[in-house]
Amino acid sequence: MSKLYHVSSSPHARSRLTTGKVMRQVICALLPAAGFGIYRYGESALLVLAVSVLSAVLTEAVFDYIAKRPDTWKDGSAVVTGLLLALCLPAQVPLYVPLAGSFFAILFVKCFFGGLGHNFMNPALAGRCFLLISFSGVVADFSVDGVSAATPLETLASGGTVDAVEVFIGYGNGVIGGSILALCLGGLYLWAVDAITFEIPAAVVISFSAFIALFGGQGFDPEFILVHLAAGGVMMGAIFMATDPVTSPVTSAGQLVFGILIGILCGVFRVFGSAPDSASYAIIIANMTVPLIDEISVPLPYGLKKDTKGKKGIPKPALILCAITLIAGMCLSSVYEMTKERIAQQKQAAKAASYQEVCPGAVEFTNDSRADQVIADLDGGVYGTDFGKAYIHEAVIGKDAAGNVAGYVISAGSGDGFEGMITLSVGFSADGTINGIAFTEINETAGMGMLCKEEAFQGQFAGVKTERFSLNRSGTSSLENEIDTVSGASTSSQAVVNAVNAALDFFAANFQ
Amino acid sequence: MPIFQKTFRGGVHPADGKEYARNVPYSTYLPKGDLVFPLNQHIGKPARPLVQKGDTVLAGQIIAEADGFVSANIASSCSGKVKGVENRRTVAGTAAPCIVIENDGAYTMAEGVGNETDEASLTGREILDRVKAAGIIGLGGAGFPTHVKLAPKNAEAIRYVIANGAECEPYITCDDQLMRTQAQEIVKGLKIMLRLFPKAEGVVIIEENKPEAIRAMEEACRGEEKVRVQAVRTKYPQGGERAVLSVVAGKHLKLGMLPADVGCVVDNVATVRAIYRAVCKSEPLMERGFTVSGDGVERPCNLMVRIGTSFSEVLQAAGGFRKGADVQKLICGGPMMGLALSSLQVPICKNNNALTVLTLDEAALGEKQKTSCLRCGRCNQVCPLGLTPQMMAQAAERKDYGRYEKKLYGLECIACGSCTYICPAKRPLMQLFKQAKAEIMAAKRK
Repeated sequence: MSKLYHVSSSPHARSRLTTGKVMRQVICALLPAAGFGIYRYGESALLVLAVSVLSAVLTEAVFDYIAKRPDTWKDGSAVVTGLLLALCLPAQVPLYVPLAGSFFAILFVKCFFGGLGHNFMNPALAGRCFLLISFSGVVADFSVDGVSAATPLETLASGGTVDAVEVFIGYGNGVIGGSILALCLGGLYLWAVDAITFEIPAAVVISFSAFIALFGGQGFDPEFILVHLAAGGVMMGAIFMATDPVTSPVTSAGQLVFGILIGILCGVFRVFGSAPDSASYAIIIANMTVPLIDEISVPLPYGLKKDTKGKKGIPKPALILCAITLIAGMCLSSVYEMTKERIAQQKQAAKAASYQEVCPGAVEFTNDSRADQVIADLDGGVYGTDFGKAYIHEAVIGKDAAGNVAGYVISAGSGDGFEGMITLSVGFSADGTINGIAFTEINETAGMGMLCKEEAFQGQFAGVKTERFSLNRSGTSSLENEIDTVSGASTSSQAVVNAVNAALDFFAANFQ
Repeated sequence: MPIFQKTFRGGVHPADGKEYARNVPYSTYLPKGDLVFPLNQHIGKPARPLVQKGDTVLAGQIIAEADGFVSANIASSCSGKVKGVENRRTVAGTAAPCIVIENDGAYTMAEGVGNETDEASLTGREILDRVKAAGIIGLGGAGFPTHVKLAPKNAEAIRYVIANGAECEPYITCDDQLMRTQAQEIVKGLKIMLRLFPKAEGVVIIEENKPEAIRAMEEACRGEEKVRVQAVRTKYPQGGERAVLSVVAGKHLKLGMLPADVGCVVDNVATVRAIYRAVCKSEPLMERGFTVSGDGVERPCNLMVRIGTSFSEVLQAAGGFRKGADVQKLICGGPMMGLALSSLQVPICKNNNALTVLTLDEAALGEKQKTSCLRCGRCNQVCPLGLTPQMMAQAAERKDYGRYEKKLYGLECIACGSCTYICPAKRPLMQLFKQAKAEIMAAKRK
C-alpha cells in the first residue's frame, strides 16, 4: 500500500456555498441601500456606517481572542450586523451611538449566546432596540442639515399627507437605509441567489397591509398603505431582519406563520401603539416565538401526505396560528373601536376645558378663516424652522357673552419630547400676553418629564408678553422670558418651550 | 420537447463531471486476474454456493443459487478453476464470503448460453423463471432481485413500467452510452416486461442533459404503441426511485412502500437490457456497463466489464492514475452516493456502476470550513422527500432518536446527500443520519 486514500461518508461533493459566501451575498444586497444613504446624507452617513461595521467586527474579534474561539469574525456576519444596524440609524447621530449599538449587538446578543447560529434574536435589531431605549432622543432625531423635519409617519400621525413615491425612492426623512427601492433591489438579489425565501417578506408585507387597510382608519387607500409600508423600517425589517435565517423558522410553513405574525404585530403597534418603530419590536417578539413555530411546523414528508394531487393545502399549524393572531388582532381592535368614541369625547372635553382654562371669560370659541388656511397649508407638517418638531393644530378666537374678543387660544404640539407627542393649548389675551398654558396630551417619563405639568413650571409662562421664550438650564432666572427647566427633564422642558414658541410665532403672524 | 421538463420537488445541481467520459463509446474489457464473486451482492439472503475448491467452471455457469425468494443466482463470468469459497474484502470495506475463480483467460461459454429464443413463445411464468435463473438484480445501485420486483401481488394494478435512464449521479455515463448504443435491446426488454403487466405503459425516463440518448431511445420507440420516452429536467437525485415515481405517476412513497404499491415498476435501463438478454439470448448476468472517470484517471472511459473483475484491473484498463494527479479519493459509484474505497483490491459487483477517482476531496475541504448551523433551511428546500434535515441533524446530534424517528420521520431518508451537498455551514448531515439510522435499526433488532 503506497498511499492512504481518504474515506468518508457520502456525499463526496460539496457545493461551493459557504457561510462566508452567504454573508457576502447579504452584504452585497445591502450595498444599494448604503450607497443611496451616502448619496443622500453625505459623509456623515458614511461615517456612521464605517463606525458601526468596525465596532461590530472589532467586538467579535476581541471576543474570539479572549474566549479562545476560532476566528469567527472573519465569516462576515459581524459586518452584516454592523451594516444593518447603521442603516437603521439617522445619518447625523453622534458616532458613539453606532459604536455602542454594534458593541451591544455583537457582544451581548450574539457572542454571549454562542456566536453565529445560536443567537435567539437578530443582533442588529436587538442593538437597535437597545439604542432606542437608551438614546431615544438622538436615535429618533431625523433632522436634515440641522433642520428638524418630521418623518413621514409623524406627518401622517399629525394628519398630513405624504408623497408615497418620494418615500419609496428614499427622499422621506428617516434612516440611512431609507430607500425602499434600494432595499427591494437587494431583496430581489438575495431571492435570486436563494439566500432568502419569498415567504417571510411576502407574508409580512401582505399581512401588514391587510391590517392597515382593516384597522388603519382609512380603509383600503393604496397610498396610505404604501406610506405605512415604506416608512418606519417595515420593508427593512421584512427583507433583511425578519429573513435572518438564524432567527427565523426553517420550514416554509413556519416562515409564513412567522411573517404573518410580524405583519400583524407591526400593524397593532403602529395603529394602536405610540411607538412608530413598531417593526423592530414586532420582529424581536416574533424571533422569540421561532422555536415554538419550528416545533409545530414540522412538515409531513411528501410520502406521508394523504393525497398530494390537485390541491396544495395550507399546513394546519399555519392556519391555527393565523387564526390566533387574527382573533387577537380583532379583540384588540374591537376594544379600540368600543373605546374610540369615548376617548375622542374625552379628548374633546379635555381640549375644551383647556381652552376655557387658558382663556377665562370666553364663552364661545370661533375659528378664524385666515389662520385656518395657514394651518391647512401646513398639511400636518412641522411649523417653522426654529422650533424643532413643532406643530400647530388649531387656532381659535375666544368671545365673551357680548361677542367681544376675550382672547385667543392656539393648540400647539411638539414631537421633541421623550415619549410621543406633547400637545398643549396656549391662551393669549388680546394684546398678546400669555394667559397661561394647559396640557392636553403628555406622556413623559413619570416623576421627571411629567413635572412639566406642575404649576411651578407651567406657571412661568403666564402673564408674560414676549416674542420668544428660552430655556434656562440651571438655577433660577430673573428674566421673565427665561423658563427654568424642570430638573432632570430638560428634553421635555425644551419640547414645551418649543411648542409655546411656535404658538407665539403663529399668534404674532396671524392675529396681530 | 417542452421548454420546462417535468421534475420532482427539491434536489440540487452538483457539477456533473460527465464531460470526462460521456462521449467515450463502450469497449469490452476482459480481465486477466482472478474473479471474485461476493455471495451477498444483492439485497436479501446471500446466495448458496454450488461449487467448491478445485471445480472447473465455464462462463455463464451458475456458481451460487438463490437461497429463498428474495435472493439471486450468481453466474461465473469467466471459465476457469474455483480457487475457493473464502472471505474477501468487498467495496463496503468489510470481508464477506466470496467465490474466487482462477481465470483461464479462454472465456469458454457454458452450454446453452446465447441460444436465441423468441419471447412471444414464452409464457409470463417462463419469462420470470428466465429472469430469476439469470441472477438479475437492480443494476442501478440498490441491487434488489429483479424477479421479485417483476412479481408484485397484483400485476393488473401496475400502470407504469419505468426504465430509469435518468442517471443523475455525477461522472457516471455508462447508462447514457448504453442507451445510445443499445436502444433496441432496452426497448425489447421493456416490451418483455410489459408482457407481465397487461395494463401498464412503458416509460423511459432520461434527463435532458443526454440529448443523444433521448434521440436514440425515441428512435427505438418509434412505432411502439405502449412505450414512450419522457425527458425530465436535469437535477439530482432525479434517478432516485422516488423522484422517478413523482415525475411519472405523481405519487410519493413512504417508508416500507414499494413502487408496486402506487402501480409502478421501476428498473434501471441496464437491468431492462439484461432482462432482454436473459430472456431472448439465455444469457445470465455476466457483464455490465461500467464508467471509470474523474480527474485522477488517465483515460476516462466506459467499459463493458465482467462481474467480479477487481477495481484495480479496470483502473489499469483506463490507463491508471493520470500522471501527476494528486489522487485524494477513490469512489465506488459517483460522488453523491458512492462508497469511498480504501483499497482497489475489491471486486466489481453486479450493482457497481463506476469507479470515480477524485483529486480534490471536497468533503475533507468542507470539514475545514465547517461552522455552526445557520438555520438557513436550504437543506429542507432541497430534500426530495420533504424532510427537515436541519432538525433531524439536531436530534441526531443529541441522540434523541425517538424524536428523530417519530416526529421528524428520519428513517424516510434515502441518503441522497442533497442536504449535505448544499449546506453552506458544511455540516456532516449525511453522516449523522446514517449513524442515527444504524443505531435505531440496531435497537429495533434487539
